[in-house]
Amino acid sequence: MYAEYIIKRFFYSFLAFFISISITFSILHLMPGDYIHYLAPYLAEVNPEASELFRHQFGLDKPIIEQYFIYIYNVFHGNWGYSFQYRVPVLKIISEKLYWTLIILLPSTFLSIVIGIFMGAHFGWRSGTKKDLSVLNVMIFIRAIPSYWWAIMLILVFGFYFNLFPLGGFISISALELGINYLDVLHHAILPIFTLTLCSIPGIYYLMRNSMLLTVGEDYIITARAKGLEERNVLRKHALKNAMLPMITMITLECAHMITGSIFIETIFSWPGLGLLTFNAILARDLFLLQGIFLICTLIIIIANFIADLSYLYIDPRIKVGESA
Amino acid sequence: MSLLKLTHLKVHFPTQDGIVKAVNTIDLDIEENGKVGLIGETGCGKTVLGLSIMRLLQPDTRIKGENVYKGRDLLKLSEEEMRKIRGKEIAMILQNPTTSLNPVLKVGDQIAEAIRLHQGLDKRAAKEKVVEMLAAVKIPSPEKRANEYPHEFSGGMRERVMIAMALACNPTLIIADEPTTGLDITIKMQIVRLMKEVTKQRSMLFITHDLDAAAEICDNIAVMYAGELVEYAKTEAIFKNPRHPYTQGFLNSLPNRGLKPIRGMSPSLIGIPNGCRFYPRCDHAEAACKIQHPEMVELGNGHFVRCLQYDRS
Repeated sequence: MYAEYIIKRFFYSFLAFFISISITFSILHLMPGDYIHYLAPYLAEVNPEASELFRHQFGLDKPIIEQYFIYIYNVFHGNWGYSFQYRVPVLKIISEKLYWTLIILLPSTFLSIVIGIFMGAHFGWRSGTKKDLSVLNVMIFIRAIPSYWWAIMLILVFGFYFNLFPLGGFISISALELGINYLDVLHHAILPIFTLTLCSIPGIYYLMRNSMLLTVGEDYIITARAKGLEERNVLRKHALKNAMLPMITMITLECAHMITGSIFIETIFSWPGLGLLTFNAILARDLFLLQGIFLICTLIIIIANFIADLSYLYIDPRIKVGESA
Repeated sequence: MSLLKLTHLKVHFPTQDGIVKAVNTIDLDIEENGKVGLIGETGCGKTVLGLSIMRLLQPDTRIKGENVYKGRDLLKLSEEEMRKIRGKEIAMILQNPTTSLNPVLKVGDQIAEAIRLHQGLDKRAAKEKVVEMLAAVKIPSPEKRANEYPHEFSGGMRERVMIAMALACNPTLIIADEPTTGLDITIKMQIVRLMKEVTKQRSMLFITHDLDAAAEICDNIAVMYAGELVEYAKTEAIFKNPRHPYTQGFLNSLPNRGLKPIRGMSPSLIGIPNGCRFYPRCDHAEAACKIQHPEMVELGNGHFVRCLQYDRS
């Protein structure tokens, strides 16, 4: 039963990845503009022969279908192309930048999930109280304002007025002489992490509060109370695990949100991660790099979903029978 | 001696459409070792009455009257004192075992919870007790079943689990809410027999609309209609000599007595009329029934009825 479930999930994940490769490829080739032009402006007018040579070298003169199959073959062989802009293999630059993105993405994902679930569970359990309603309104307020506005305001207040944190970047100028200092990096990372966390909490909080609201009315909650359990144990032992079930999928979707969210945050904070890389790649029309970034994001989301599906095996006993819930 | 004595119990829910008067001025005695059947149609307030005894209704519910258990009014106890009574002194078997068991916890752990809480047993001793309880409700291979989840049990087996859970801490009083509903007829009779066996030394409030089950188990029967009791008598008297027109209609609607439905619908519990609540559906209705609300009168031999035919004071 386990093996069958896992193989099935793996197959769907693979299928999703394959489809997203195709979509990424099509969208980028539908974009207007000739990238040879961006690579070497006016080359086609000045030296058509050299331009043709370039096209040939990059395989851009082949029919689009052929390009597509070559691309797919290469993706599965670890060759994700060559960045026009940085003149290095795409995978190399992505893996470098991914490291920096994870420095801010992992802590903020973890924090927002923990805080969001805790607050959602707490206030969903006691919904309708004054505290619950005021927290709800604050959350709506946070969510309604885009993350880049929060980023700018936080830089203005904590970076500029209070001078507590640097205005951007990832290391101080002094690092040129002294080398990279982890505390220095952390100091630069706090504001981006805080912004990302702040903007991700409401989403998780809503979902958890909603899920908890539905769980509170269940019959087994009354059963638990009828046994004489204390209210906090009814919440902890009976409500929480059930309310968490729909959350697992939601959290993986929320992670996808956070990856895209980090594009704004990294751009504003000049944080040298995938987000900033994406922004620059779009400006420079670095086609293969963009393809690579999209692919790596899709891959992360698909893997997260796969892990979520597997974790249901442990959390929801009903899946063990072989029926997917 | 009376174990549980409800005096003028009223349960009202404030809602946006008005106050729902789910239970209205109920007086009911449960003797030590006595089994009282509470019968009535769906929506007449039976379940609410059961839950209100345990104080398991939502916090904004208004409960008035007295609910005296072993000389203590449960309505006046603190929440903490009430917790010591729930599951230990009074246990409840909620209706619909499919939704009343937690789907993500092992059946054994759900039963062990109350045992560990009230009897202070450690994990191992509680586990032994769980197996013993599962065996007592005749679940085959109880050691194995204790480690399974509710979805791995059939409907009848889930009901047995609910019963085992209620019995776990050896309660004095059991409130069983429709334990035979939704079971097929052979399983139903097994559960009824089991209920009868495990409550030999206990008191029980048996809430049901299944008259056969009630007849099998209970010594007294209370008939509830639109939030109040309309008849109360020994089981035999209810079946042989029902006095209230509603009880007569209820009995006549049974398959083996002609399957004749009572015309009309039971009234909404918001804005109940002044007179007799059964008046619009009653074949014996008179003009006075519309205006005067009948009181419960004793016809002798512990037979009470709420109907103007007998209320000649």
